Amino acid sequence: MSHVVDELAVRVEAVESLLVEKDLVDPGVIDDVIEHYQHSVGPLNGAKVVARAWTDSPYRERLLADGTSAVAELGFGGPEGQLIIAVENTPSVHNVVVCTLCSCYPWPVLGLPPRWYKSPEYRSRMVAEPRKVLSEMGLELPDEVRVRVWDSSAEARYMVLPERPAGTEGMDAEALARLVTRDAMIGVGRVLPVDAARDG
Amino acid sequence: MAESPVIDADLAGPVSPPRDNGEIVFEAPWERRVFGLTVALCRSTQCDWESFRQRLIRRIAEDQARPYWESWAAALEDLLADTAMLAPAELDARHGAFLARPHGHDHHH
Repeated sequence: MSHVVDELAVRVEAVESLLVEKDLVDPGVIDDVIEHYQHSVGPLNGAKVVARAWTDSPYRERLLADGTSAVAELGFGGPEGQLIIAVENTPSVHNVVVCTLCSCYPWPVLGLPPRWYKSPEYRSRMVAEPRKVLSEMGLELPDEVRVRVWDSSAEARYMVLPERPAGTEGMDAEALARLVTRDAMIGVGRVLPVDAARDG
Repeated sequence: MAESPVIDADLAGPVSPPRDNGEIVFEAPWERRVFGLTVALCRSTQCDWESFRQRLIRRIAEDQARPYWESWAAALEDLLADTAMLAPAELDARHGAFLARPHGHDHHH
């Protein structure tokens, strides 16, 4: 650990000790927040939302009309879950999510963002040259598919509803959820091949 | 891109815990702590998320090369100073006192 980082660690400790003394924050709540975001919330939540939308058409419509309420139906939400908006991929439109200014992200359905999502490269380049960045991330899109980039903010945290893959007609929501990756819900990857659900 | 955000194989299994992103969100314990501290503060009546977010945006914009959690910690200090929750001088004094502690003392986290 470098000296600078070590100093920062002590500084954060100093901030916490003062805020606790002033009764401005409860250390138990801090522990609960960390526990919640490290162990209870993650892309599996979003995968369940997507699988439900694939198998339940009225739910899909509710999700696209009011993402926050639709994910709350499955029990996902909470104080940091305001204003989730689902955007749907189609054969002609591919959606991808970024936060150009900071790191806004739909925590209740995807957990905390990966490191690359917060990087200056991703934040600036995904807007300027999305097709190129997607290709570098392993997602080649045909020229005829339009790419739509959504800039998240505190007012609107986007998640992508990927297309249901062909060959999944007989699968139920539980099996389908196993195909849905975090990257597919950010829009930088595809859902897994159908046999991944059987192997799982 | 420095990292390769390929599909996370560990998400394929039905019993995979949701946190298994295949990537580490927090590299050091203090990053985890400053995240929890900020969110806890914003859940209370002391501040709101948007106030913090505006300061985070400013800190990120002022130095794109600075590591993300360092910008976050700086933004939190800005918020505490601007709202008079914590005066910079008081924080500096406590920070100095903690840094002066002998080595090997017990960090409580």
